Amino acid sequence: MKKLIIALGLITPAVLFGQFDRSVVPAAAPAKAISIADPVVFKTANGITVILSENHKLPRVSFNLTVGNGQRLEGQKAGLSDLAGDLILSGTTTRSKDEIDAKKDYIGANINAGSNTLNLTCLTKHMDEGLSILSDVLLNANFPQSEFDRVVKQWESNLMTVKSSPEAMGKNALMSALFSNHPYGEVVTETSLGKINRDDVQQYFKQTFVPDGSYLVIVGDITKAKAEEAVNKYFSSWTGKALPKVDYPSAKNLNGNRVIFVKKPGAVQSYVQVAFPLDVKIGDANHVPLSVTNSIFGGNGFGTRLMQNLREDKAYTYGSYSSLNVEQQGAYLSAGGNFRTEVTDSAIVQLLFELDRITDSYVTDEELSLTKSVMTGSFARSLEHASTIARFALNIERNNLDKDYYKNYLKNLDAVDKDKALEIAQKFFTAKNCYIVVVGNESVLESLKQFDADGRIEIVDAFGNPVQEMKKADISAEELFKKHSFHVTNTTSEKNRDKLLKKIKSVTQDIEMSMSQVPFPMKSVQFWGAPNSEVMTIEAQGMVIQKTYFDGKSGYESNMQTGKKELTAEEIAAKNKSVGLIPEINYTTSGMKYELLGIENQNGTDMYVVKLHDGESEMYDYYNTQTYSKIKRLIIAKDPETGESNEVLTTYTDYKAVNGVLMPHKIVLSVGEMAFNGTVKSITVNKGSIADYK
Amino acid sequence: MKKLILGVFAGFCAFSLTAQQKIEFVEYDLPNGIHVILHQEKSTPIVAVSVLYHVGSKNEKPDRTGFAHFFEHLLFEGSKNIDRGEYDKHVEKNGGALNANTSMDRTFYFELLPSNQLELGLWLESERMLHAKVDNVGIETQRSVVKEEKRQRIDNQPYATFFTELFKRLFPSHPYNWQPIGSMEHLDAAQEEDYIDFYQTFYVPSNATLSIAGDIDIEQTKKWIEKYFGSIPKGQAINLYRDFLSLSDADFSKKYSVEKSIFDDKDFFSSKNAKAKAIIAEYAKKPTTVTQPGKPTEKPTSVIKETVYDNIQLPALFIGYVFPEQTNEDIYALELMNAVLSGGSSSRINKEVVERKQLATMAFSFGYGLEDAGVGIFAAIASKDIALDDIQKEFDAQIEKIQNELITQEEFEKVRNQFENQSVSSYSTIAGISEGLADAHVYYGSANYINVELEKYMKVTREDIQRVAKKYLTKDARVILHYLPKEESK
Repeated sequence: MKKLIIALGLITPAVLFGQFDRSVVPAAAPAKAISIADPVVFKTANGITVILSENHKLPRVSFNLTVGNGQRLEGQKAGLSDLAGDLILSGTTTRSKDEIDAKKDYIGANINAGSNTLNLTCLTKHMDEGLSILSDVLLNANFPQSEFDRVVKQWESNLMTVKSSPEAMGKNALMSALFSNHPYGEVVTETSLGKINRDDVQQYFKQTFVPDGSYLVIVGDITKAKAEEAVNKYFSSWTGKALPKVDYPSAKNLNGNRVIFVKKPGAVQSYVQVAFPLDVKIGDANHVPLSVTNSIFGGNGFGTRLMQNLREDKAYTYGSYSSLNVEQQGAYLSAGGNFRTEVTDSAIVQLLFELDRITDSYVTDEELSLTKSVMTGSFARSLEHASTIARFALNIERNNLDKDYYKNYLKNLDAVDKDKALEIAQKFFTAKNCYIVVVGNESVLESLKQFDADGRIEIVDAFGNPVQEMKKADISAEELFKKHSFHVTNTTSEKNRDKLLKKIKSVTQDIEMSMSQVPFPMKSVQFWGAPNSEVMTIEAQGMVIQKTYFDGKSGYESNMQTGKKELTAEEIAAKNKSVGLIPEINYTTSGMKYELLGIENQNGTDMYVVKLHDGESEMYDYYNTQTYSKIKRLIIAKDPETGESNEVLTTYTDYKAVNGVLMPHKIVLSVGEMAFNGTVKSITVNKGSIADYK
Repeated sequence: MKKLILGVFAGFCAFSLTAQQKIEFVEYDLPNGIHVILHQEKSTPIVAVSVLYHVGSKNEKPDRTGFAHFFEHLLFEGSKNIDRGEYDKHVEKNGGALNANTSMDRTFYFELLPSNQLELGLWLESERMLHAKVDNVGIETQRSVVKEEKRQRIDNQPYATFFTELFKRLFPSHPYNWQPIGSMEHLDAAQEEDYIDFYQTFYVPSNATLSIAGDIDIEQTKKWIEKYFGSIPKGQAINLYRDFLSLSDADFSKKYSVEKSIFDDKDFFSSKNAKAKAIIAEYAKKPTTVTQPGKPTEKPTSVIKETVYDNIQLPALFIGYVFPEQTNEDIYALELMNAVLSGGSSSRINKEVVERKQLATMAFSFGYGLEDAGVGIFAAIASKDIALDDIQKEFDAQIEKIQNELITQEEFEKVRNQFENQSVSSYSTIAGISEGLADAHVYYGSANYINVELEKYMKVTREDIQRVAKKYLTKDARVILHYLPKEESK
C-alpha cells in the first residue's frame, strides 16, 4: 500500500500539470527595482580623484589607476606609449623584474599595466603587499635597458604575426584611413619601433604617470576608512603635473565609398568592415539614441538586422555585427564580419543595403521594443559586477557627465522612439560615404571595384601603408622602349631617331647638388661618351670626394674614404649592358634582362614599371604611360660585404631638349633618409673626351 | 643551516587560508531523471537558468562527427510552441541573454534573465527538452552557419588546428580523436533521421542537469520546475511522443503498430484511449540509456613527430602528453605542477624560455581536463630566427628539472596562494556558479565538489608534484608538432 501511495505521489504532479497549455508563454512576475549604489568619490591633495565602490561579496579588492589626458600623436615613434605600458613592470630602482614577478605571484595577485593604466587585483588580506609593489612601480620604475631590448625584440616577432591575423590587419587599415594625423590612426611598424629608445620610454612614463588629473578606482572588499588609509599610505608621495590636453582633428568624412584592400594569401574567408566617422561625444544627447539604432542595426544578439540577413537568411557568415565606438578622442561606427571568400561582394552588397534601409524607413515597433529590452537587460546584468558601478563613476568624472547620468540611463533609453531612431540614422548612418576595408584572398579584388567611388581600390599592407596595385601593361616591353626613344628624340621613326643620335658623340653635364644634412654645396660632373664610356665625379669644397671612371673596357671607382678600386669583371659586364645615350634601344641585344611588370598608379600618375637586371643589381624603371618619359629608377643595391640591400631612388624631372634630345635638368637621388637634390647647370655636347678624365 | 632558515622563513610567510566562501544549494532528482540544483543569490535581480546535457563529441559515431556541437546550434531553431527564429527573441525581448557551448564531454545551454522572468527561462528549456524542431529546414540553415564557424575559428586562425592535430595522435582509438567542431563532410552526409536519432538518444530527461542560480525563491522555483519539467515523461515515452509529432501516420503505425489517432493530439500524455494509455505506460518503462565511451585504451607508446604547414609567420612548437581523467587524484598535483612551470610571469617557463633565453615570444604549458582522459600541452611561438628544436630542448630541460628535483618551498607556497586566489575568484557570477554546480554534479558525482575543490589542491605535497611529473611527462611517449609557415612547404 505504501508503495502505491508513493507511486501515486510521483505521478500526481504530471496529472496536475498535464492539462496546462505549453503554448502559452509564461508571463513575467512583477519586476524588481534596479538600484545603483552611489560610489564614494574624493580628491587627494596631489590631484588624484579616488572612486570607491564597496562590495563585500568576495574577499578581494582591486585598485585601478588611469592617468593622462588622452593619447598623443607619436609620429615616427608610433607605438611608444604601448611599448612603455609593456615595460612599466620591468623593474624599479629597488626591485628587478624577477623580484616584482616573484612577489606578485607569491600572493597570487594580478598586476598589469598599460600605456595609461596600472591595476592590481588581490585577496583583501594581501592588499598591503600588493599596494607596496604598485606604489614602488609608480614611483621608481626604471626601465632597464636589458628589458627594453628584450621587449622590443618580442615586439618585432609579434609584428610578424600581425600578418597572419585578418582582424589585426583590418583594424590597422581602417584606423589609419579613418584617423589621419590622429593618435588613433597611428600604427606601430618595424620602422617606428626601431626609432624608439629607452629614453623615450622613460620620458613618456615620467610625463604621463602623474597624479594630477589621474583616477584611482577602488572596488571590492574594503571600507571607506581603509581605502583612505591605503591611498594616503601608498599614493601621497607621488607627484607631478599633467601635460596640457591636445585636440586632434576628428575622423575624416568621405565623399563616396572608398575600398581599402589587404592581401591575405590563402585566406578562406574575407574579413570585411564598412565604417564611417561619427560626430558624437561620450554621454551627449545623441549617444543613447545612437546606441539604440546601432543595436537594431547590428549591435549585439541574434535578432539584429545584420545577423538576421547575413547569418540567418543568407548563411554568409558565423556572425555579423556592427560596433559603435565612441571614445574619448573620436568616434566611428563599423559593421562587418568574416565572410567566406566566394560571397565577399554579396556580403558587402547586403551590408550597404542594410545601411541604406536603416536610413530609409522606420524601424518596426518590434525591433525597437526588442532592442530596448536587450539593452535594459544587459544594463541590469552588468550591475552584478562591482566594477560596473566604479566604471560608471569613472565615466561621469572623466567626461563631465551629469551626476545622475546612469541613474537616468534606463529612462533615457526608454524615451527613444521610432522618430528618434530614424532621425539619428539619417543624421549619422551612410551607405554612400563609407570606408570599406577587406582583408582576404586576392581573387576577390576584381569584384570589389563596383563598391569604390572611383573604381580604384587602395591596397595597403598589414600595417595600413599603401601598396601598389599593378595593372596589366597594354604594350610590350620592346614597344615601350621604342616609344620612349621616340619621345626622347621627338621622332617617329627609327631611321630619324638613329640619325639624330649618331650626331651626339659625348655629353657633359655640370650639376649642382645640395643635401639637407650638408651645409655646403657640392658639384657633380657627369660625362658620357659613345658608345658606353662614362665618368661621374662629386666634388665638395674643391676636393673630389667620389669618382667613377669607365672607358668601355675597364675603369675604376675611387672614394675619399676607401681609396681607388679597379672595376671587377662582373661590374664591367654589367656596365656593358647599358650601351648608348638611350640604353633602352639596345636592351634587346646588350644582354640586359628586362620584364615589363605592368602599370602602377602613384600619386595619380600611371606608370609602366620595368624590372631590369644587369647581372649586378636589380633595377626598376618607371615610365609615364602617356608620354613614355622616364620618371625614376629604383636600384636595389646589395652590399657585397654585409649582404644588406639598399634602395637608391633617382627621380628625373624638368626635361629640356639638348641638341634635340630630352634630358632631365632636375635629378633627386635618395638613399634611406638622405636626399641629394641635383640641379643641372649646363649640358654641353661633343666637347671633350673620356681621356680628359683619366 | 642556511637552507633550514630559509625554509622556516618561507613557513612564516605562508598566509593563512581564507575560508572558502561556501556556495549553498539545494538539489534533488525528478522522477524522470532530471537532476535539479538551485542556488540562491539575491544581490542583483537576475537569474541564470541552465541545462547541461551529458553529451559531447565523444558520444558521436566516428562517421558522424560534429553532431553534438551541431545540436547546440540546431536547438535554438525553435520547438513545437516556439516558431523558427523566435527562441532567442523570447529571451532578448525580455531583457535576457542566452548562449550555449559544447565540449568533448557535454553540451551546456543557459539563459540569463531578469529574476522576474525565471518562469520564462524554465518554459524555454522545457520546450527544448521536450519537442525541439529537428527538421531539414533548420538543419540546412545551421549547416552553413557551422561551416562558417569552422572557417572563422579554426581554418582562418593561425595555429588554431593544433588541438585537432594533437588529439588525433594522442587518442588513436578513442572519440577524443576528433574535435567538437567535427567534420563538415559528415554533417553534409547525415540525413534527417540521423539527427532525429541523436536527439532521441541524448536529449532525454535522464541525461539532463537543470541548474539555476540567482535571485530566486526556492519554493516557487520548485513548483515551476515541477510544472515544466516534472510533467515531461520518463523513459522512452518522450520519444514515442516525439515520433507522434514528426512521423507521418503511416510511418508511425509502422513503427508502433498503432494508429496515431488513438492519441490526444492536444494533450498527448493525458490521452484517454485505453490503448494509448497502455502504450505510453509501456514506453515510460523502457529506459533511455546513454552509453559513455569510457577511458581510452590506447595511447602513444613512442614519440610521434609531425610538421604542420599553416598560414603563419612565426613557427610554433606544440608537445602533447596524455594526462589522466579529470577526476583522478593526480590531477591536483598536475595542476600545481603546471602552475610552477607556467602560472604567472615568475613561472619557470616564462622566466627561462621567454625572458632569459628569449627563445619564444610566448611559451606556456597547461592541462586540458576531460572526463575520460586529459592532455598536457606545452606550447611556444618561436622568436624570430629561433629553431623549434632549441625550444624543445629547453622545455625538456625544464621537465627534467621538475622530475629530478623537488620544487622549492617558496614556489610551493606561491602556487598554493595562486590556487586560493583562483578559487575565490572563479565563482563570482551567477552564470559561473550555475555552470560550476552542474559540472561538479555530472563529473564528480556531487555538486558540493565546488566547495571542497580547494582542499584537494591544498593536500598536494611537493613530492606529489615530482611524482606526477615523472609519471605523466613521458619523454619517450608524446606527440611533437612543428608548425611552419606555408611557403616553406614548397
